[in-house]
Amino acid sequence: MGRYEEDLWIITRDNLFALMEVFIKTREVIAPVRGHGGEVIFYPIQGIEDVAWDWQYVNAVLPPKRFFLPQTEVMFEYRYDKGYKITPRYDDQVRMIFGIRPCDVNALVFLDRFFGGGSLSKKSPDEEPLFPDSHYIRRRANTFIIAFGCHQPGENCFCVCCDAGPFLEEDYDLQLTSMNGDYAVEVGSARGLKIIYGNEHFFRLISPAEVKELGRIKEDALNKFADTCAYVSKAIRRVTEAKVDDSLWEELAERCLDCGGCSYVCPTCCCYNIVDIPLSDKSGTRTRTWDSCAFAGFTRIAGGEILRSDKKDRLKRRFFHKLSYQYIEKNKRHGCVGCGRCITTCFADISMPSVVEAIRRQKATVQATKP
Amino acid sequence: MKDVYFPDITVIDDIRNETGDVKTFTMRFKDPDIQENLAYRSGQFFEVSIFGIGEMPISITSTPSRKNFFELSVKNAGLVSGALHSLPKGSEVGIRGPFGNGFPYEEIFGKDLLFIGGGIGLAPLRSLINNVLDNRDNFGKVIILYGSRTPGDLVFRDEFKLWQDQLDVTMLVTVDRGDEKWIGNVGVVTTLFPKVAIESSNSVAFVCGPPVMIPFVIKDLLKLGFREDTIISTLERHMKCGVGKCGHCCIGHKYVCMDGPVFSYGEMKAMME
Repeated sequence: MGRYEEDLWIITRDNLFALMEVFIKTREVIAPVRGHGGEVIFYPIQGIEDVAWDWQYVNAVLPPKRFFLPQTEVMFEYRYDKGYKITPRYDDQVRMIFGIRPCDVNALVFLDRFFGGGSLSKKSPDEEPLFPDSHYIRRRANTFIIAFGCHQPGENCFCVCCDAGPFLEEDYDLQLTSMNGDYAVEVGSARGLKIIYGNEHFFRLISPAEVKELGRIKEDALNKFADTCAYVSKAIRRVTEAKVDDSLWEELAERCLDCGGCSYVCPTCCCYNIVDIPLSDKSGTRTRTWDSCAFAGFTRIAGGEILRSDKKDRLKRRFFHKLSYQYIEKNKRHGCVGCGRCITTCFADISMPSVVEAIRRQKATVQATKP
Repeated sequence: MKDVYFPDITVIDDIRNETGDVKTFTMRFKDPDIQENLAYRSGQFFEVSIFGIGEMPISITSTPSRKNFFELSVKNAGLVSGALHSLPKGSEVGIRGPFGNGFPYEEIFGKDLLFIGGGIGLAPLRSLINNVLDNRDNFGKVIILYGSRTPGDLVFRDEFKLWQDQLDVTMLVTVDRGDEKWIGNVGVVTTLFPKVAIESSNSVAFVCGPPVMIPFVIKDLLKLGFREDTIISTLERHMKCGVGKCGHCCIGHKYVCMDGPVFSYGEMKAMME
């Protein structure tokens, strides 16, 4: 459970609603809301009535990645007036993400490591971070995390296979679990504890019976997830040792539509492009936008040559990045948190579980793939 | 915290036409403190910004042994390089870096060095060649073999004589196709191999050139007895960020912008597209 001694509390639903109204007045609160098509998305809320509560949804169709790495982000402005002047642009909005699921929190931890300190294989994560991404880091530091534990797996969820849920053991500020109409509150950080002490009248300490009940709820939830398990570790080994036969990627390439949807909905995919957007002859912005290794143009070089022009190589690339041990060593976990969004999104059924399953069925090839 | 995406402003002090489509730009950072403290290794690259057009990775062609300026040799091959080519002297350009690992330097003290360049591929090698020649006592024999398609595509021609006149430097140049004035060697760069005495046992070979050239050169070097880890080359990718984040330059688990762009042939062989 939480890291702090006074780490277990109860908040009634009414009190939680009242507390949320306090938060909404003092910061930008991002919460799951229902879109016009009935889908649940993370969106800034104006009032408590906007929120789709945890008993109304399993997970948002898109991860909250965009509040840390926006789909389009201005990094600086340039202006020419007898010489260039560059002004960096940072988003220092104080935010709270309310209702984020454990899988998405684990994805944030993955991104923290990635953007926080480079990914040089020669460096251990304990050393001084190399080339930290200040745009990501500033947003992340200003965002308070209230996670919701999951009672019920969605039809595509497999977080238990990826060590990413259905509850968090760390890396949150507060974790809420629905219990008899109220919420059990776990505290995972100093600033989480500060929120409790600053609003103590909304909370009461949990009783020993309720602690037991919370344990039972978590146990039950785990059991419900049990039969969704995939063979991730086997896939990791095969991919790492280059023992996946190319015929697998060729088959997948025949189905892949090159749409990049997998990358866009994936909470850990974070490749980007950098472009200049001129506003006039003398001014404009440098902007980064999401990109995807699924696109052919991703590896285009000067002169127009595309280095990874074969679709099967691009598919191989994506799953190598997600699964290979070399990347696990760098990022301290593999690149899938089991949110299941690629299953929902891909028209061609090329998702993490389907690829892992296909690797399991394939006989390991003896010869390694060479460039 | 230093923003890794934030370029510093530099000024183009001089422009030399190397060939019809290659120019060498002599530049300095506008802020004298930044120029003063500039430290780089041969083989590293800068991210060059032409504001409003974009950014491109360009290897540094000047040697770190010469201060107060740096040089970039750029082929007009795309949007940003085309825009750079159109700029007059005195123009301001954004620079981030230096990035990448760079060539081994201290590690090759006492070694015989063989440089094999093709076309604009001589640009990164020139940095190391001049660095070696500025510290000549630290190294053994130096052989430079350079080839291009035509005499008009040879870069740094002004410097050839300087290099050739140095004691203990052997330099041979060849072109695929000569013209009426060309009296030198004709043929691909590997045809120069039999004309020089290459002793592989204490040598390191540096190979930079067009992708079509590299496999032939490596094949011949292996035949001459070079080990896979003594053949050093660079990989070309469009590194967008230069700091191991954007993902564009990944090959296998290597980021060309951070783990490279300099790799030994042994390392390259182990990579997986």
